[in-house]
Amino acid sequence: MDLLQKIKENKHLCFIDGATETTYSLSELLFEFPVSKSRTLVFLYLDNSIQSLACYLSAFNTVHTLVLLNNQLDISLKNSLELEYNPAMIYDATRNEIETYKLIDSDNGIIYHKETVQPTVHPNCKLMLSTSGTTGSPKFVKLSEENIMANATSIAEYLPIQKEDVTPLNLPLHYSYGLSVLHSNMLSGGKIVCGLPDILQREFWSALEQFKFSSLAGVPFVYEMLKRIGFLKKSYPSIRYISQAGGNLNINIKNLFIDYCFENNIEFYVMYGQTEATARISYVPPAKLKDKITSIGLPIPKGTLSLDPETSELMYEGPNVFGGYAVNKNDLTLWETIEQLRTGDIARKDEDGYFYITGRIKRFVKLFGNRINLDDVERFINRTFTTVVSACVGIEDTHLLVVYEGAELDAGEIKKVIFEMYKIHPKTIKIQQLTALPLTGNGKIDYKNIGLEYDL
Amino acid sequence: MSSENNQKLITAFSTALEIDASQVIDDLKYQSIPEWDSMSHMFLISELEEVFEVEIETDDVIDLSSVGKAKEILTKYDVSF
Repeated sequence: MDLLQKIKENKHLCFIDGATETTYSLSELLFEFPVSKSRTLVFLYLDNSIQSLACYLSAFNTVHTLVLLNNQLDISLKNSLELEYNPAMIYDATRNEIETYKLIDSDNGIIYHKETVQPTVHPNCKLMLSTSGTTGSPKFVKLSEENIMANATSIAEYLPIQKEDVTPLNLPLHYSYGLSVLHSNMLSGGKIVCGLPDILQREFWSALEQFKFSSLAGVPFVYEMLKRIGFLKKSYPSIRYISQAGGNLNINIKNLFIDYCFENNIEFYVMYGQTEATARISYVPPAKLKDKITSIGLPIPKGTLSLDPETSELMYEGPNVFGGYAVNKNDLTLWETIEQLRTGDIARKDEDGYFYITGRIKRFVKLFGNRINLDDVERFINRTFTTVVSACVGIEDTHLLVVYEGAELDAGEIKKVIFEMYKIHPKTIKIQQLTALPLTGNGKIDYKNIGLEYDL
Repeated sequence: MSSENNQKLITAFSTALEIDASQVIDDLKYQSIPEWDSMSHMFLISELEEVFEVEIETDDVIDLSSVGKAKEILTKYDVSF
């Protein structure tokens, strides 16, 4: 199924550039993206500008496989990704030149091209997204156009998206949640506003009043910021619903928003998902949120959730389940059919069919909506500081705790190298030296007992 | 006193934003460098609250959009520069 074809049927759709207040139709945004003869890999370094959006949509309109990346990535990370995947085309408005590439289109954006021997990309693979966001990890989730279409349709079915809506693109496009807001609103919504400053700038709030935004989307950190800047003390009559995904929102803050939304006649959608499921897996119907406050809700339309009978791991089945990971260019030729997505989360189900996350099988911490693999961080520390053995755990998805045994290290120095490598802010890292790492009966690191005693 | 507060302010900025103290000048603005994004801004606010023992009001969290503005706002809370 052709996503853009379907989107063209939405006669209410238009795009507003928040920076210039100019309105564009879809056909006005689309330009002829330089096409090479066969399917090839295109790197798109994006921000939330109208140019980025035009470039993404135009590239989507070709046979190419698109890799969406943050244009703020460190140049060294960009270079190593390009070395690994050898894309034939690159869009990056932040660079004036790219070594070994030739500038071919500067009217519609900065597109670079090189003649290269391409790996054969599997025809199903339309889009590749990173799960880590800021670290420039070469591991990507492979998604098909069918995946994208199915998830967007399903989201548009359960969210109250309508033709009169004015939706701000306040989340990054290279992030699956941000992209799902775009896709589902292009299918069923109305106006989409790009090129906005972030929510910590006055101009965002004047744009909200001026364009009358009908919704807001945010990861837990966005909700913490909203609370801190006094969102809950004011009223915004144009807002009909707000959504939250990208990790577990602190229950106190969740409660404050539930009460606020009730008083202001706003629907509050708490949702759960993974990039491996294109974005969305489940959601809590707003009317049930108060009763089911710690729940991740019910599966989205056309999706099924179940629990592994032995481990209680949460399993998801649906047309939005990805086609496997790519960690290097050889993986581009492959497409796996994954019937059941193992989420890595341990869950339970209540008598009404609502699911609750109770733990994690995969070792990661979710900070600021991004997944950080704890084993990676651990190996990195052990490699960098060879006099110690470290163990990393996440604390309530707000902090990374690093404990170690061995020679005493400067905590600031550990935080600094972690920040440089993973962009985890030092304020969210806790360091503790132990006389010995706790071990389980069979001599493995006992992670369960590491986080327990640590008092933030 | 004022130069001491100035030093405290510079240290707070360089700690929260992970930048060199020499970069902390009055003209440095929010989002003008990759290091001063929304995430580090929230750390900056709590760092300033801690260092100067003040409670920064909600509106000031947004208004504090440059180093110069930070001084102006902190002055309201009886911190002199």
